This record gives sequence, C-alpha cells and structure tokens, in this order.
Amino acid sequence: MPTRLLPLLAILTLFVASCGSSGQLQIDGLAAEINPEKCVENSGEEVTIYSGRTENLIEPVLEAFACATGVSVQVRWGSSTQLALLIDEEGNRSPADVFLSRSPGPVGFLESKDLLGTIDDSVLNLVSEENRSSEGSWVGFSGRKRVLVHNVDLVLDAELPRSVFDLTEEKWRGKVAIPGTNGSFVDWFTVFRDQYGTDIAAKWLNDMVDNDARYYPNNRSIVEAVGRGEIEVGLVNHYYNYQEVAAAGDKHRARNHDLDDTDIGSLLIITAASVLDSAKNPEKANELLSYLLTDSVQRYFTNRTFEYPLAAGVQPNALLPKLSALEIGSVDFDALGGGFEETAKIIEASGIQNQ
Amino acid sequence: MTPTRAPRELRLVGLICSMAFAFPGLYLIWRNFTSGADPLGLLFIRQTLEPFWRTVRLAVLVSLSAAGLGTALAWCTTRTDLPFPRLCRILLPIPLVFPTFIGAAAFIRTLNPGGLTNDIFASIGINETPELRGLFGAWFVLTLFCYPYVYLPVAARLRQLPGSFEQSALILGDTAPQAFRRVVLRQISGSLTAGTLLVFLYTISDFGAVQLMRYDTLTRAIESNYLARPPMAFALSLILLIFAGVVVLAERSVNRRLPEVKSRRTSQPMTYALGRWKTPAMLLVGATLAFAVVAPTAALIDWAADGLLRTQRGGRPLTIDASKVIEATTNTLSSSLITGFVALLAVTPIAFLVGRYRDRIGRMTHSVVIATFAVPGILIALSLRFWTLRSGFVGDLLYDSMALLIFAYVVRFASLAMGTALVAVKTVPDGLHDAASTLGADKWRRFRSVDLPVMRPGLLAAGGLVILSTMKELPISLIVAPIGFPTLTTRIFGSFEDAFVAEAGIMAVILVCTSALLSWFLVLRRADHL
Repeated sequence: MPTRLLPLLAILTLFVASCGSSGQLQIDGLAAEINPEKCVENSGEEVTIYSGRTENLIEPVLEAFACATGVSVQVRWGSSTQLALLIDEEGNRSPADVFLSRSPGPVGFLESKDLLGTIDDSVLNLVSEENRSSEGSWVGFSGRKRVLVHNVDLVLDAELPRSVFDLTEEKWRGKVAIPGTNGSFVDWFTVFRDQYGTDIAAKWLNDMVDNDARYYPNNRSIVEAVGRGEIEVGLVNHYYNYQEVAAAGDKHRARNHDLDDTDIGSLLIITAASVLDSAKNPEKANELLSYLLTDSVQRYFTNRTFEYPLAAGVQPNALLPKLSALEIGSVDFDALGGGFEETAKIIEASGIQNQ
Repeated sequence: MTPTRAPRELRLVGLICSMAFAFPGLYLIWRNFTSGADPLGLLFIRQTLEPFWRTVRLAVLVSLSAAGLGTALAWCTTRTDLPFPRLCRILLPIPLVFPTFIGAAAFIRTLNPGGLTNDIFASIGINETPELRGLFGAWFVLTLFCYPYVYLPVAARLRQLPGSFEQSALILGDTAPQAFRRVVLRQISGSLTAGTLLVFLYTISDFGAVQLMRYDTLTRAIESNYLARPPMAFALSLILLIFAGVVVLAERSVNRRLPEVKSRRTSQPMTYALGRWKTPAMLLVGATLAFAVVAPTAALIDWAADGLLRTQRGGRPLTIDASKVIEATTNTLSSSLITGFVALLAVTPIAFLVGRYRDRIGRMTHSVVIATFAVPGILIALSLRFWTLRSGFVGDLLYDSMALLIFAYVVRFASLAMGTALVAVKTVPDGLHDAASTLGADKWRRFRSVDLPVMRPGLLAAGGLVILSTMKELPISLIVAPIGFPTLTTRIFGSFEDAFVAEAGIMAVILVCTSALLSWFLVLRRADHL
C-alpha cells in the first residue's frame, strides 16, 4: 500500500503548501465590523502571539489589527496553561512577542519566572489601576464576572442566595456544582484567600465539600449540566451561559444569577495580555495591546462576545449584569502569583476533586 | 533456515528509533532532576497513592471489558454468518477518532439525566437512567472508546487463522467452545495481549474522559499541578511512565510464554452458523454501535443542527465558514496520512528485529516505543520543544516545521502499529523465505517479493490505527504544529472551550465522517485480512 498512497500524499502536501498566504489583506464579517476602513499596505513587520483566548472570539480582532496597521500577525492557539508551559520551556528563545491569557493564573506563573517584559505606560494607562499590573507586566483587556448559574425549572428566583457563604447551608446540600480545579476557579479562590484570609476561605471550601458540593472539571460542563437539570446551581463565569443561550435559546434551561455586589462570588476575572521579555518586536507588541483597548475592539467584546469592556469610556452591553465593586485588579496580583501553590494545596486537601 | 543474527544496518535503525522514542522519557527524568522534584518522596503519600490506585483500578477494569468486547466483536464479524458484516467492519473502528474531551461530553449530553435519550427511555417506561460519572462512567466511556485497540488486531488475526486447526479439534471431539478455548484463543493470544496492553496504557494516560466523568486519577493531579507546582507534576508524570514501563515488561514476559503464531494462507478460515445465537450476536454488535458510535454522534449532530437552524433564523452567525472547514480537514488528513506512513517505516524494522531475529536491541526498542504510549501528549510536545532548543541549527531548521509535527505524532502513536506489525512479520512463513533465498534472491528482493506482499494487509491495518488516532490528537497539534496549521481537532477544541457548541459539533461530525471514509477504504483494501 505505501507505494500506492505516495502520489496521494504528495498531492495533498502540495495542496496544503499552496494554501498559503496571499497578497493584499481583505477582511469581512466581524473583523470588518471592528475596522470598516480599507486595509493599510503590509508594512513587512510581524507580531507573534501565543493566544489562550480561542480563535472564535479573538481572530476577528487580530484580523482587524492586521488590516488597520499593516502588521502581519502569527498566532499559536492553545490552552493558556499549556502555552504558559511552552513559553517557560522556550525561555528567552521563545518566538512569541505577546501572550494572551484567558485567566490571570498563567500570567502570574510567567511573571514569577521573570519572563514578562514591561508594557508601555501609554498602554497601561488605558485601563483603570485595578485592571493592570503595578509592575507593568500585564494589562487586562476584557472581563468575565463570577456568577451562580441555576436551572430555572429546579430553583425558584426567590430561593436564590445572595452570597457564596449561603451555599454552605443545609438546603443547598448536594445541589451546588464547583469547577474545583479549573483555572478561573483557582484564580478566584486565590483572591478569596487574599480578601478574607486563608482560614475563612479554606473553611468555606471544606464546608462546601461537607455539604456535598459536586465537582465538575470546568465552567462549560457545569453550565451544560445545569441546563439539563442534572444539578441545580453552579459557580461559574457569567460568559458561558450567554453562548449556550445564543446556541439553543429557551431549550437551554439555565440562567445566570448575580450574587451581591460586594460578595466575593461577584468577582470580575480579567483576561490578560502581556509582552514577553524576549519579544523581538516589543514596539508592535505594545501597539497590538493598545489596539485591544480601542473603543471599537472593546465594543466588540461586550456586544459580540458578552464580556465586560475594561478600557475607560466604553459601556458594558445592556444585557450584562452590572459590575460589582470588587475587581480582581484591586488585589495585589503579584502576591497572587506566588499564592497559587498554596491555593493548589488547599484545594487538593479539601478533597473537592472527589465529590 | 532463517538467519538468527540480525543484519547490522537493521540493528542500527532499531537503535536510532529507540533513541528517538526515548526523548519524552529522558526529558521527564531531566526535568525531575532540574526542578528539584521528589518522585520517591511523593510515591508513598496519600495524595499520590489514592489517585494512583484509582488509575490502576480503572485501567484494569477497562482492559478486561475492552478485551472481552473487542474479541467478541472480532469473532462475530469474522467467523460467523452475522448479517451486514462489511458495514459492521466499517463502523466498528470509528470510536477511535473521538477526541475524548468532546466524545465524553457528547456521551453525557445524550445519555445522562435530561439528555437527548431521556424521552426515548421514558417512552419505554424507564424514568431513571444512571448518571454517567465516577468509576462507572469512566469505565463505560473508556471501554467504548478503547475496544478498537483489541478488536482491530484480533479481527485481523482471526481472518488469517486457518480453519483446519479448528476442524481438527472438532473432529477429535471438542465442542465449539472447547475448540475456541484450546485452539483459537491460543492463536489469537498474542494479538489479544498486545491490544489489551494498549487499552491499559491509553486508560492510564487519558485526561479528557476521566475529568468529564469526574473520576480523579493521576492525570488530573498532573494537570492541575503544571502551573501551581511544576515539580510535583513532573514527578507524578515520571511515576506514571515508570508504572507503564513495568506493565510493558510484565506483558512481554507473559507474551514470551504464549504459543507461536501459525499461518497457512491456503486454508480458508472457518465460518460458524450462529443459529439460535444470531439474535444475541446481533444485539451485541448493535448495542456496541448504538452506544459507541450513534450515542455520541447524536449529541454532535444535535449541537450542529441547533447552530445551523439558529443561523437560518437570523441568530448569531457561525464563526466558521466552508473554507475554514476545508482547510482544517485537509490539514487533518494530510498530517495523519503522512504520520501513518512514517509510523510504519519506523515500526517495521523494529518488528523484524523482534519477530524474526529475536534481537536484544529490537526488544528494548519495542518496550520503549510501547511504554511511550502512556506519556500524556502535552509532555511529548514540551519534550520535543526542549530537545529542538538544545540541538543547535538542526533544531532551528525543524522548529515550526511539518517534519517536527509528524515526528511528534509518530512518537505518540507508533506504539499502536507495533503489535499488529509484529504479528504481520511473524506470519511470513519461514519456508517461503528459505525458498526465495535458495533461489538466490538477495535480502532486498526477498523483502519486496516475499515479506511485503504477505505483510501488506497487516501493515495497512496497523497504519489505519495510527491514522485514526492521529486525527484526534490535541496537545501536540496545538503546541508542535507550525503556526497557522489548524486541524479539525484544534478547531473543535477552540470552539468547545468557549461553548461555541454548534461550531464544535459541525466539525466533530466532519471528523467522524472523514474517519468513516478512511475506515471504509481500509476495509475495501482488506486491511483486516492479515
């Protein structure tokens, strides 16, 4: 067989090779919505991005950037954790200029390894102080709020709690889903420790385990399970339910519930961008970061992907619940980075992963 | 007589292969030293022992059930008068192609409470279906994902097993079950243990299915420690790899005591009339296909249909278009076909060393290749980045190239081809070989005109296993692939991560259809007629 398959393989390889890039950039769809202008001539410059944000959400933004600036963009898509590990492995020989992370943890990891460079002040100043690093090593560019997702057939609105601390009560026994080892939950729990002290945070988690809280691997699987009625409520990022409703409408039986504004359960988790210390093109990397924070991109995030805009002056989509006072940036993020190891130990010791 | 000493160039190839396949293991050992990890200290603490014990329990259960199911399916489809044998043979390998992160989610979507089959079950009076989770859920799903590792090699072996053996046994007074135990089982035991070993190793390395089933194994402990406590993640991975090595060595010592494989190509395999067993046999095959192929595909189609209908009604438009789908499909097909071909090139010399010459280097390489199957894909990806960074200009040349991607895939999956290729080598009758050499044919001529034609179907089956598995590979496709080389699986992952279920569903359905086409091609080429 090998000899007979060879020509087929050769043709396929040639075909793939010929599908390469073409000349003048043209954009349409969502990218054109972000940048309606005609594309600038290619400048020959290039930025390489490792993106833990997935292409469905970010690709139009990057296309619009390439169109608006003439800088061509190379992207390696992946999970934020795996890309952070890759950058750590590559060290200062990494081809990446920019790292986009869907939660703060991986950025904190790279910061603790001294792999992040300093972002220009002009970019940092585009967001308020809570949403950027005091060291200048990362900047938030969109936000996702923690909420309680609930099944509308199984839980009445009047029964819904106001704080995560209510969930340790007997009436919630066996009814709460927790994404115990998921990145954004780990980040959230680290902030929880920072705000309330480790003892209170650890006690809450242990009480949840005692109250038969059920473990799920990630936000998406919780939203799906709550939608089916497999479990009553779950602690997740607000964003996933919007996508499920967008996909299935009323057939999907779950809705978001906002806990009290001042409750830790209403924390805003940011998605972060950083420039690598070893970036070959830091100037264009900074230009990209500032582009992420332009009005048109921020409006795209809130209107098309249902996230919270972080740049000053852009209003959140009216559909989104109003923002609480507590934002992740109000926490010392650098301490947070180092705190992950302790968080991992507490979560592991609580035994939530076996629930 | 066949020469007992292997040709030197063959041993050299074997040695090079063993080094290539040792990359991930050596990387892990190096990382354990440099990160100050303490694998020995971790070995006997509760946090390691508990997930480790759960991993072992799951792997043993899945191995047993997949071995039983795979063998039964192979026997039914090859040796009996089961209706629609060809359709069954095309459909049965398909579960191999489901990436577990979406495959397991699709199972949950279809079968769990409130799922798609709820109404169907309710209409026949079943109101409470068990929730797929924990040990039961992980066992159920992994058995259905893994039985092809046993089914394919055993079916290939059964087709080629001469019927005369069983006829002799029956004439001498054995009942059919006795003949199966005393003759058939002994003859398929090599393929059976090799396939079961793959199931075992796959199960201990799986992350996607166990995490969705919420069954806490070692891979979950590794995964959640990568960033928080890297030394611990490396140490646990090393423990996993060493455990895999021990299991591989154990299988080898069992395998050595198994009877020799016999073949005679003139005699037709026996066909049994199922008689009153026809209904149970059809139920078994039907239920397997319903659960392993139809159930997950139903959820995928449901997701895809929702998205397409929504777009029709003017809701949020899909984020993919035809050109993106075509690009991902061609990338998937080209990279997996090339991987299948290269894996055969790598594995065949090793199979010769072990099967024909019983060479020490060959046996060592064989063990290294197979144990590597238990290394999580992300670690293979990171280890290749590690080695290319440290190999000067060769590394620069390879970085971001197709060649490196194919190499990584081969390291990950060549083990799947190993067992089948080994049986294929052993089935070349010595007499044929000796006759050719008496007639003055040199070794290349002998390889081309004697070995290759006899081994061809077996090698095709082995290549098929590799190809179907490569199509679903995720971490290597994300981390090692050249920038701008999306595959169907990376696209599915990207969409599914952010709950773009319609896009994920559409591309997963395309992945399943593509694999069915490949499977059809392999059946057409009689790849299961070893």
